[in-house]
Amino acid sequence: MSDNANYVELRGINKHYGSFQASKDINIQIPKGRLVALLGPSGSGKTTILRMIAGLEHPDSGEILIDGKVVNNIPGSERGIGFVFQSYALFRYMTVYDNIAFGLRVKKTPENEIKERVAELLKLINCEGLEKRYPSQLSGGQRQRVAFARALAPNPQILLLDEPFAAIDAKVRLELRTWLREMITQIGITSIFVTHDQDEAIEVADDIIVTNQGRVEQAGTPQELYANPATPFVVQFIGNSIPVKNYDQFQYFARGGPDTVAILRPEFISIFKKGESVQFSRSAEEGVVEDIIFRGSNLEIRVRLHDNLISAIRSINDPFVEVGEVVDVFIYRLFVVDGDRVTMEYNQSLKRESVVI
Amino acid sequence: MELRKNSGPLKWVLIILVVIFLAVFLLLPLFYIVITALRDGIGGYIASITDPYAIKAALLTIRATIWAVVVNTIFGIAAAWCLTKFAFKGKKVISTFIDLPVTVSPIIAGLIYVLTFGRQSFLYPILDGWGIQIIFAVPGIVLATIFVTFPFISRELIPVLTAQGTDEEEAAALMGAGTFTIFRKVTLPHIKWALLYGIVLCTARAMGEFGAVSVLSGHLRGKTNTLPLYIELLYQGYDFTGAFAASSILVILAIIVLALRVWLERRGNKEAEIHY
Ligand SMILES: Nc1ncnc2c1ncn2[C@@H]1O[C@H](COP(=O)(O)OP(=O)(O)OP(=O)(O)O)[C@@H](O)[C@H]1O
Ligand SMILES: [Mg+2]
Repeated sequence: MSDNANYVELRGINKHYGSFQASKDINIQIPKGRLVALLGPSGSGKTTILRMIAGLEHPDSGEILIDGKVVNNIPGSERGIGFVFQSYALFRYMTVYDNIAFGLRVKKTPENEIKERVAELLKLINCEGLEKRYPSQLSGGQRQRVAFARALAPNPQILLLDEPFAAIDAKVRLELRTWLREMITQIGITSIFVTHDQDEAIEVADDIIVTNQGRVEQAGTPQELYANPATPFVVQFIGNSIPVKNYDQFQYFARGGPDTVAILRPEFISIFKKGESVQFSRSAEEGVVEDIIFRGSNLEIRVRLHDNLISAIRSINDPFVEVGEVVDVFIYRLFVVDGDRVTMEYNQSLKRESVVI
Repeated sequence: MELRKNSGPLKWVLIILVVIFLAVFLLLPLFYIVITALRDGIGGYIASITDPYAIKAALLTIRATIWAVVVNTIFGIAAAWCLTKFAFKGKKVISTFIDLPVTVSPIIAGLIYVLTFGRQSFLYPILDGWGIQIIFAVPGIVLATIFVTFPFISRELIPVLTAQGTDEEEAAALMGAGTFTIFRKVTLPHIKWALLYGIVLCTARAMGEFGAVSVLSGHLRGKTNTLPLYIELLYQGYDFTGAFAASSILVILAIIVLALRVWLERRGNKEAEIHY
């Protein structure tokens, strides 16, 4: 029965807090050894899902399975779970050593084994020499790593992390992301982490589960979510999305129904100075540069096209465009949202040209 | 800025006012207690405080205080724990009821117990059948003392436990720690100083309680007289030396409690600096 395909599984989970429904028919499958992100806006029920897996909350209906066994009635401490809390919840009145050793002591592990395991973990998290400190005497990043070590100490099968980077400043956060990803891959533990930062999810996770208003909108690899968003919410939420109402004014795109909306992304658009591109000169449309934002390694160009303000990226090596300049804008493709349906539409001139060639 | 610059005279006026106030309302009476207690010389003082009835009264006060502290520590921890760590219906109501003894007059508290356990109560025959007497006996005094002091410890603990949240307990529980281990290793260190502080306040209040105890005691000299009641008795009998000598015992106990309180506050603050 222990089918590696679904190590952690949620089936038809519903959960209310009073009259408020925080989880609506949640179905999730997580294969063994995967690193999965629960991504969604604030209040979309991510923490609730995590806490139900950990046994800290109980679903009203539905089943939670771990390794093929229904665990609804098994206490959290017997589900083989390590939990890293959003605020770390390190034991404030215990030293780093005692924090990490806590889970092992509860399990009555011999003290010499505990010593070895703690030393090993301290090395893993690069915190050797800090064992006598109290949590308040650590930096944010160190606290996060100690919380990680504490959760890992009893060798759990599943690691759950609630917004592990939320309390850390931007620079350190980037380092920790990479560190955490490497660490989890190295240990090979099935991990689920909560985030509301899509960059974080895309960068760290093997799979992303997008939540919204208590529902799962879509689950898949970052590439899948990016290329084939299944719902209007996912289209808007993933990537840098610009909604455009009157997209039928754009050349080479078919007119949709009256309520359809198009979603553009900067990477779907190219901007050329007049005469810069021979290939697209005939099929491009004219727009006016309204703003140029320096993004370090590239430039974001904001262009007014048919009364829509759209964004595109240009390399700093490309010829320089100026505010007010008339430029050629070429749109390769866009998402069309029609009610609940999302489809991808390509610029028809591309098809024609490929036919010609 | 302006205010501070021009406040020289105001500052001194206020300081002098406070000092005069404290002198008149606190130091003068304390001084008077000492003077009166020693009016008949040191020998008279010693005779007064070693009077068998005085000693009995002091012992009864200590007994009632210990009972109150023990019962209220257990009750206070339980109440504070359940009010802060669990969500349930009627939480507000319980929280309000805990404060009742602070707002209700002690005399009324005494009368409530007289009604509940006295001759006219339906409980009386049952208790009497078991040979238990509550009214006008030591159990009544203990009950009254517990009643008037029971908010003190839980009220000290609730803010500390609320500030701490439930994360650390949840983390410990997920690692398989039992309730008792969680309490001892995680919760107790947080509330240690607040708890001791609450115990000190509870002790101070228990030792001094007069109203509720007075209603329930029956004033049997040597049997159901606590120190405050004994003092009143002497005072009514115009034995000023005796009354003030006995008072001085309470004053000394109060000063010890005050010193403990200052020390606890210091220790608590110092430890908080390390852990927050
Ligand atoms: N104990 C609770 N009692 C009542 N409502 C709750 C409780 N916990 C969560 N909720 C509600 O359930 C919804 C989902 O909460 P949850 O904490 O799962 O959101 P989240 O996706 O983790 O949000 P965030 O990113 O802000 O942490 C929210 O609207 C929240 O207000
Ligand atoms: Mg959350």
